[in-house]
Amino acid sequence: MKSVVQLKDEVVAPADGYRDATVDSGARRVITVAVAGNPNAGKSTLINAIAGSRLHVGNWPGVTVEKKEASFEHQGTRIRLVDLPGTYSLSPYTQEEIIARDYLVQERPDLILNVVDSTNLERNLYLTVQILELGIPVVMALNMSDEAQEKGYRLDVKGIEEMLGVVAVPTAATRKSGLDQLLEAVVATAAAPKLRRPKKLNYGYDIETAAELLARELALESAPLLERFPERWLVLKIMERDEHVLRQVNFGDEALLERALHHLRSEHGDDVESLMAEARYGLASGLTREVLRKPELKKTELTEKIDRVVLNRFLGIPIFLGAMWLMFKLTFDLSKPFGDWINDMTGGPFKHWASILLGAIGAPDWTVSLATEGVISGVGFVLVFVPVIFLMMFFITFLEGSGYMARAAFVMDRAMHAIGLHGKSFIPMLLGFGCNVPGIYATRTLENPRDKALTALLIPLMSCGARLPVYVVFTGAFFPRSSGTVIWSLYVMGIALAIVMGLIFKKTLFRGEAPMFIMELPPYRMPSLHSLCVHTWEKGKHFLIKAGTYIFAVSVLVWFLLNLPWGVENRKDSYLGQAGQVMAPALAPLGFGTWQAASSLITGVIAKEIVVGTMGEIYAPKKEEAKQEFKPFGEEVKEVAVSFGKACRESVSNVVSTFGITSLDTQEKEERSALKGMVLKTFTPLTAYAFMAFVLLYMPCMVVAFAMRQEFNGWKWFGVAFAYQTVLAWGMACLIYQGGTLLGLGG
Amino acid sequence: MGFSDLVIAAVLVVGCCYILYRSLWQKKGHCPGCDGGCDRSH
Ligand SMILES: Nc1nc2c(ncn2[C@@H]2O[C@H](COP(=O)(O)OP(=O)(O)OP(=O)(O)O)[C@@H](O)[C@H]2O)c(=O)[nH]1
Ligand SMILES: [Mg+2]
Repeated sequence: MKSVVQLKDEVVAPADGYRDATVDSGARRVITVAVAGNPNAGKSTLINAIAGSRLHVGNWPGVTVEKKEASFEHQGTRIRLVDLPGTYSLSPYTQEEIIARDYLVQERPDLILNVVDSTNLERNLYLTVQILELGIPVVMALNMSDEAQEKGYRLDVKGIEEMLGVVAVPTAATRKSGLDQLLEAVVATAAAPKLRRPKKLNYGYDIETAAELLARELALESAPLLERFPERWLVLKIMERDEHVLRQVNFGDEALLERALHHLRSEHGDDVESLMAEARYGLASGLTREVLRKPELKKTELTEKIDRVVLNRFLGIPIFLGAMWLMFKLTFDLSKPFGDWINDMTGGPFKHWASILLGAIGAPDWTVSLATEGVISGVGFVLVFVPVIFLMMFFITFLEGSGYMARAAFVMDRAMHAIGLHGKSFIPMLLGFGCNVPGIYATRTLENPRDKALTALLIPLMSCGARLPVYVVFTGAFFPRSSGTVIWSLYVMGIALAIVMGLIFKKTLFRGEAPMFIMELPPYRMPSLHSLCVHTWEKGKHFLIKAGTYIFAVSVLVWFLLNLPWGVENRKDSYLGQAGQVMAPALAPLGFGTWQAASSLITGVIAKEIVVGTMGEIYAPKKEEAKQEFKPFGEEVKEVAVSFGKACRESVSNVVSTFGITSLDTQEKEERSALKGMVLKTFTPLTAYAFMAFVLLYMPCMVVAFAMRQEFNGWKWFGVAFAYQTVLAWGMACLIYQGGTLLGLGG
Repeated sequence: MGFSDLVIAAVLVVGCCYILYRSLWQKKGHCPGCDGGCDRSH
């Protein structure tokens, strides 16, 4: 007689195509769940809601471009959720779809969580039908059930379960509803994979007969293949002659395929691939008809109304530019008082406290100078821009979550076609406004390598958050009333030059046209405040980490370079000063041929914030020069708090004045930062603008260089970007300076 | 400038170079600031 334990083992024992959940070293069960579904179905949102992770989400298709993991503990079981890029089918076109497919097929997860957008059931079921071919247990999340309900859709969940042989749970990831039932279904299904077999759907007599024949032949002639891949899936893919799969499995037995397909071809013609697609579509639409009831009357939805204006042929681009302008204006007005506050703090009390602290522990004198003139001037200067950067990231997160990204791509489609790309390329470029690096990775959503490389080459022209500090210093000094507009003009310059460079590349390196593209426009959605904050933090955090690591390191090194050879009197004669002097003549035609500007540009190659960090150090008053009067500690702390309160008030009043409700408090404050004063002395408005343009264009930062190398397996495209950008930056700054001087703006 | 100054300076410079190496060269531009559920197996 069998013991209970043995019996239990039998139930969960792995059977063909199935695996039992693995057991990790601590003898806990681990369930690996692949989360798959159409793009923008809410997979990442669902994982974030279940596992408390912070995966990137956004309201457009193609947010997730590589597999990401989040794992958590549930009733003593470790559940690993693998977030996959969205895909419309398992015959992928783009790189990120291939990532998703390869994971499902090769890694054989314990279970697939198929996230379905219930408002687009038919299209989503087309993928589900293909997922079922894999023979891996499936749990279905009927996500966006809140929106489906609002539209008046009625879904027969029992019907779906019966017809597909899977457990289906209605969920609304953004409202965290249905998650408990979903988890329960996942655990139950993983515990008894054999009992929860998804149904084998019938593709019609002819296809099924041919598939059986081929499976039998394969079993005889290449049995190892059937062990490596899910059987039914492999057979169907071979019948379709899926190139990627044929290459992967190294299948070349034409005669065998010919025998199996003979009857099918003679009945239905040669195009087996279309035949199979039809069979799958037939199933998906038949199923939808069975289980979904839509209301008779369709009301015009808000999304449609907004789109009529936003996507208007003539208004589209002006609205896009206007929205951007508003974003900069708000960013700048809201954040400026806080930036000034941090500036006051790092310049005054912090420097004072640091020198007291270093004195107390008996550190050598020069380290005090290193801390105050080096680290606090360098890193502090970057910290001044934390409020600007965070606000900017907040607005970008809002744009991403609202659904406007996809519209911007649509609106720019015509302009992008002029340069041989299509609108979809504009999304990686827009992401580049936050940081160029994710933009480079987002080029994976583009179909052909040509589009991908060309887009990646243009992304560094998009002005990222790290360039903001430079703009803020210079516009604050020279254009205090219209900072937002001046910064906006630089962003627009980046886009315009991207189009010009695209035209040039199209004529030279990248001949050819972009194919037409169809992109789904998701409905507008209001992101929740919580998710806005979380994702703003995720984006902004990156800049803080940078300030704490390599900007810190660089500011220390810059201090040494400014003070070596040891005991050098004049910073101009230091190593960095000498390097700056060598480069300065090349910048003279641009109007800023000083060693200070040149040295800052040299160090800024590592990251563009460092341009202002270095300037801050170069222009930092030497200890002897600084006329400082320090107050008692208690009073200084009080001042920190009081001035923060003032900054909050100012920020609010700035925004109010943006909308013209009150007039801006125009009383100029006395110049508080040494850097601003020095910048005012050494630049003119015209050279300042030329300098900002140069910083915008002059070369991608190091991290982008590495990202390009990784995406394109080599330094080639980075080399191209480096070369053209250097030329472009020089030419553009020269044009601005010389042209402006001719027009009499030089003064 | 004494011997101890030289040692401190050398330690600082080496430390900073190491930070640069770690945050730029080692990461090779891979997804900065996305630790939340990031697949760091690459
Ligand atoms: N109303 C509603 N919105 C949702 C729900 N789930 C997700 N969303 C929104 O849908 C959009 C897409 O969500 P994501 O999680 O990024 O979608 P995804 O499936 O990961 O998309 P890709 O990564 O592009 O494949 C976001 O704007 C979410 O806020 C839901 O249940 N209800
Ligand atoms: Mg996603």
